[in-house]
Amino acid sequence: MPASAPEPTQDPLRVGAPLAALALALAFALAWGDPYALRLVALSGLVATTALGYQLAFGHAGAISLFQGAAFGLGAYASALLARSVSSELMLTIPAAMLASGLAALMMVPALRRLGAHAFALATLAGAEILRLIAVNWESVTGGANGLAGIPAATLVGVALPRGLPVALVAWALFALAALATRALTRGPFALGLALMREAPLAAEASGIDTAARRLSLFVLSAAIGGAAGALHPFTLGTVSPEAMEIGVMITALVVTVIGGSRRPAGAVLAALLIVHLPEWLRGFEELYLILFGALLLATILFAPEGLVAALEEWLPTRAKEPDLPTPAQEMLAAQPAQRGPLLAIDGIEKRFGGVTALAGVTLAVAAGEILGVIGPNGSGKTTLLNIVGGQTDADAGGLRFIGRDIASPPHRRAAAGIARSFQTPPVVPGLTALDSVAAVAPGFGARMLRTARARALALLDSLGLTERAPEPMTALTPGEARLVDLARALMLRPRLLLLDEPAAGLTDPERTELARGLRRLADHGLALIVVEHDVDFLIPLADRLACLEAGRLIALGAPAAVRQDPKVRAAYFGAAA
Amino acid sequence: MLPQLLISGLALGAAYALVALGFVLVLNASRAVNFAHGDLVAAGGFATVALATLLPVPAILLLPAVLIVMAAVGLAIAALAYFPLSRRPPAALFVSTIAVGLIIRNGLDALFGAAPRAGPPLLGAGLVEIGPAVASRQSIAIIVAAALLIALLWVLLARTRMGKRLRASAEDPEMARALGVPVARMVAFAFALAAALAGAAGLLLANQFFVTPEDGGALMLKAYVAAALGGWGRLAGAVAGALAIAFFEVGVASLLSYPVAEALLYASALAILALRPQGLFPEHAGQRA
Repeated sequence: MPASAPEPTQDPLRVGAPLAALALALAFALAWGDPYALRLVALSGLVATTALGYQLAFGHAGAISLFQGAAFGLGAYASALLARSVSSELMLTIPAAMLASGLAALMMVPALRRLGAHAFALATLAGAEILRLIAVNWESVTGGANGLAGIPAATLVGVALPRGLPVALVAWALFALAALATRALTRGPFALGLALMREAPLAAEASGIDTAARRLSLFVLSAAIGGAAGALHPFTLGTVSPEAMEIGVMITALVVTVIGGSRRPAGAVLAALLIVHLPEWLRGFEELYLILFGALLLATILFAPEGLVAALEEWLPTRAKEPDLPTPAQEMLAAQPAQRGPLLAIDGIEKRFGGVTALAGVTLAVAAGEILGVIGPNGSGKTTLLNIVGGQTDADAGGLRFIGRDIASPPHRRAAAGIARSFQTPPVVPGLTALDSVAAVAPGFGARMLRTARARALALLDSLGLTERAPEPMTALTPGEARLVDLARALMLRPRLLLLDEPAAGLTDPERTELARGLRRLADHGLALIVVEHDVDFLIPLADRLACLEAGRLIALGAPAAVRQDPKVRAAYFGAAA
Repeated sequence: MLPQLLISGLALGAAYALVALGFVLVLNASRAVNFAHGDLVAAGGFATVALATLLPVPAILLLPAVLIVMAAVGLAIAALAYFPLSRRPPAALFVSTIAVGLIIRNGLDALFGAAPRAGPPLLGAGLVEIGPAVASRQSIAIIVAAALLIALLWVLLARTRMGKRLRASAEDPEMARALGVPVARMVAFAFALAAALAGAAGLLLANQFFVTPEDGGALMLKAYVAAALGGWGRLAGAVAGALAIAFFEVGVASLLSYPVAEALLYASALAILALRPQGLFPEHAGQRA
């Protein structure tokens, strides 16, 4: 589905259509010379900029904010107050407005940190409502419900900018500037990581991505951009009033973002021009056009979830895209530094879920270059053990030491320290190709870093026999292939310890042989592997040692052949399986 | 003075509790927030106003009709904005229910206008003396009516087969489905019940506090604050949270002003979310939707 791929396609038609619409709108406004028409063009620019900022939070970070309207309004008031008391120089008022709105958003971060999607939205609405109440009621400063009139005309580096065409041009220049400034965020490995984080937060976190930090920083940035757009609002109208702060602004930003496509700057241009002008074309239906907004919003989310602009583009002719594969990077695995003693020491780990004991004091160690297989019947605690080492679950008691140090707690820091894992159900991000699913965990911004990340990702997919499948969307892959892509994602982190949860499930026999060979190569490079597997026949020839869990206890540990013959193991595992 | 404040706080809190209970019912059953929930309260208020012009009787007699109409609206919302999107990411439900709220709000505006309208009193106007305090009959009637509705809801959830099925499918949809509970129908039932409760709150509030199409936003926010204070997802907690909010509002408003009370309420809610995310009255920290 190219529509949702984070990197916009380069097709000239797709960028050209919004630009043509904008040029047309400007030409139209110029030809009629109507100050009102010019004001609408300027307002469209501010709405597009606000929506562009909102795309970062809503579209890219999956942070459903209801604060963007208040951020716009706060920027408007900050800018108007400065213009009345200090100066209407845009080089002052725009940064000041961005600072005000960004800081207001930042102040909410401690409250937002732990909230899920919908609770996040409502908490941001509470913040927005506080600002609106202040604007309406602090009359001595804000002018109350009437607002402040007589805002002097803006200046830009000292040059006066009267209302009309100059302000309209500056509004759209601000949009272009914001789009350019955020380009690196929305097209590099960082943006791929955001896609992973939206669709598979657990996998993103296990890949070293601090999901909360990314989500909240984009929320703050989106508010700052909303503030910048708001800063121009008083100079567009000559006044500022609580209307700039009301839910209507927020709804407009949301409608533009949904209709234009939640990750498309070009969509914001078209949708903003449309939404700002729609009420003018429907004069005489004052309340009805707002109902129409609601219906449009509902219809879009139901029938064209990628946005109307994307749906229209389906009708435009597109050039067939060449599969654009980079040259695989040469180096695949960093040489592992020498390590004395065990790489990972698990000491007396206990875990209970309610009344169920998942792990009852498990002690294990893995050395660099070793493959430790973990077997056991269903519900014996194998996956819980991996989750505790990976950080997805906290242990009730016991200790973990990695490279001789206690392990930091959040999963993303464990991943950064060198612990990577695969998942029993591999993450499938609908908008991403296999290649980008792997590249998503690389650090960095922008197109150059993306090339580097893709080259490394391709080398890893290559080594797992997936070169052909690299340009395919994840949704087209077989479950076995998705599992291998997940393994490549984990290897992309250059881990020292790799945790694999049923890596052979769903694989064909040749794929299994290939996988076993690949895992052995990794161990030979000095990686430590813990492989949880149902299929003992896969593990016996592969593992250096085998551990068997039963009901949360370690009942056997040693050479695979010996563990297999152990009567306790036979009773618990093979007996149960047969 | 104090007894009067207590009674008006209790009356406001009783109405807020109905709103918050509906919010939490839908939250638990669908793992989603219905962002049109506040607008349903306004819709209930205007339904009462409209019915009263046709049939000038005390509002208590209009209550059954309002409950039925609003339950139907709740079902329509579930069918239009929830079920087609239930498997999509939370942002889709956010957008669809916001859209529904926008349609309801501006539909009310088109039908009734933006000016505040008053519904009929529950039983009658006038004052009653309770010991040293003088309270309006309407406040007392609100408290009694809301308490009866909450008691009915409790009986429905705790004692009837329907209620048990609803709770089972809210707690563990997979398990409930395996046991033969029609989970989708239970979600629809929760939407209907929530809308009916919101409508009842609208009817109760419409007399003393008037009703305007724009009321929804603040009521939605208060339902959320009540749910967050009461421990996300807990019905009893939501009632406690709603009463706490109302007493806070009435108390602070009597000392300072109503807008200050509202702003302080939201600021305190954000502070509590930062410092005590499990809520003020938690049994156990629940999953945040």
